[in-house]
Amino acid sequence: MPVAEGIKSSWAEEVELEGGTLPPSTEVRENGMKIVTDYKYNSDDKKVKIVRTYKIEKRIVSKTIASRKCWHKFGESQDDKPGPNPATTIVAEDVYMQYITSKEEEKTEDDGLDKLKSMGDKNVVKCRNCQGDHWTSKCPWKDTILAGGKPADDKKGPTVGGGGAGSSGGPSISAPGDGPKTAPSKYIPPSMRDGAPKRSDNPNMPRRDDASAIRISNLSESTTETDLEDLVRSFGPLQKLYLAKDKLTGQCKGFAYIHFKFRTDAAKAIATLNGYGYDHLILIVDWSKPHTTAQ
Amino acid sequence: MKPIMLHGHERAITQIKYNREGDLLFSASKGNKPNVWYSLNGERLGTFNGHQGAIWCIDVDWMTSKFMSGAGDNSLKLWDCQTGKEIASISTNSSVRTCNFSYSANMAAYCTDKALKHMCEMFIVDTRIVDDSLGSAEPILRIPINGPRVSSLLWGALDETLLTGHENGEIIQWDLKMGKKLNSTKKHTHLINDMQMSGNGSMFITASKDHTAKLFDSDDLQCLKTYKTERPVNSAAISPILEHVVLGGGQDAMDVTTTSARVGKFDSRFFHMVFEEEFGKVKGHFGPINSVAFHPDGKSYSSGGEDGYVRIHSFDQSYFEYAFDY
Repeated sequence: MPVAEGIKSSWAEEVELEGGTLPPSTEVRENGMKIVTDYKYNSDDKKVKIVRTYKIEKRIVSKTIASRKCWHKFGESQDDKPGPNPATTIVAEDVYMQYITSKEEEKTEDDGLDKLKSMGDKNVVKCRNCQGDHWTSKCPWKDTILAGGKPADDKKGPTVGGGGAGSSGGPSISAPGDGPKTAPSKYIPPSMRDGAPKRSDNPNMPRRDDASAIRISNLSESTTETDLEDLVRSFGPLQKLYLAKDKLTGQCKGFAYIHFKFRTDAAKAIATLNGYGYDHLILIVDWSKPHTTAQ
Repeated sequence: MKPIMLHGHERAITQIKYNREGDLLFSASKGNKPNVWYSLNGERLGTFNGHQGAIWCIDVDWMTSKFMSGAGDNSLKLWDCQTGKEIASISTNSSVRTCNFSYSANMAAYCTDKALKHMCEMFIVDTRIVDDSLGSAEPILRIPINGPRVSSLLWGALDETLLTGHENGEIIQWDLKMGKKLNSTKKHTHLINDMQMSGNGSMFITASKDHTAKLFDSDDLQCLKTYKTERPVNSAAISPILEHVVLGGGQDAMDVTTTSARVGKFDSRFFHMVFEEEFGKVKGHFGPINSVAFHPDGKSYSSGGEDGYVRIHSFDQSYFEYAFDY
């Protein structure tokens, strides 16, 4: 990167220098690195030091490219110093190319909603009287004597018999008769239905990783979140910390979950803290159990 | 990979283009100043100040000496790349939607919009000597387009033909000596947003609002491949070194606020050129991608989005090692 001589400092810097409180920005070049140190005030009027480190690379390029590299900046970049201006050039966070290995995976995620929509009329809406594809209130057999006028399958036949007059008979009777799987009128929550997106398979959902979570129990009532943080921070970076507290009193219920960033840290914490005497009690520390067993 | 985000525009990016060697990246937005950047470190070389309206199209010549931009202020301007000074301005009857230098940059073609009582027209101008007189000089050729307007433009082989993509999905090949239609095909059903040549000019890829991108033979306009997506495709580019194409697109800009980034599919999508199958994607933009371009060395690519950012991505080693399963 060729450095042009005599670059004017920007207007903003001059104003700041007049105040006489900020040290001038410095630029140090040593073993292939350029270190730029700037000082400025942040929004709280505190002095902040900004250190930017650039790697200087030498590349051998064709003559035309090299000559273009020496062009003077123009337009709105006219007053920029050599090197990228942090106002216009930002190094973004790391991204990775996501390789798609199997088409299947993608399909299930995409089509979850569409599937639900397409089956909407057929399966989601079901008449309690005749099992047709309509709401119970819209049933064409609603006003006929036999509420279950058109029983779809024979299994249901006998149970419907009691519903003499009125549509209120239908739903209450059907439940006890059949097993939970065969009873068509049994309520199935939307999340368990056929077309519903499978939460656990969904790769895009940011699911908490329980692999590096531990459970600490036998904590004393007076434990607070800061106490807990002091206790576990030394083992490694935390992702999340949850202390179970009583809703009314706000006191600790005696257990807590800690999510570490790394599993090794979690293992270290278990090894050290299990059986550790804390606040007159002996702590019990183990891996957090997956949520499925809790249900 | 660590992308470099270029924040030189306040408004949606309309087109990005590398120069021939790929050391400079030009970007245009609906704001009125095209920018030029060093593609290696993302340093801004400058801005071309002078337009009054949204910039719809840009191009740079073979030598990277002249830069051209067409805008919504009814003008086409030519600039000196080194100094950023305007060297010529051609005023038109309506906004300039597409502009391209021919391969040798002896000529340039541009198309104007259909607006009010003016119809869509295509112009060819001589750009061997560019100075103030260009604004008043007669164009070499002037072809009125009856019917759907031109939405994208490419030069054919040996600067003898022109390819135009139209609002209704049609692609027309023009003979410049006679100023007549040579050939046409209508494989797309909606507007063609973008057309880009392959490295050797034998094929070109189109990106259309009908949710597909298609690969055509640039000589006989035969449709070779189709890449299907679920969203409008705004731009497509062919890798100069591998058999890959990259597609940028996403939800229509007007629907963006009603969808989340995850559903909106604002990623660059990589397809295998031959097998027409998607094999990878890169996230990053917060809105639809309006323009994608491969670096001429094939080792990095850039995308410009409705969010006003241009992102330069240098591929990781894993990209070059990736073998498509078949």
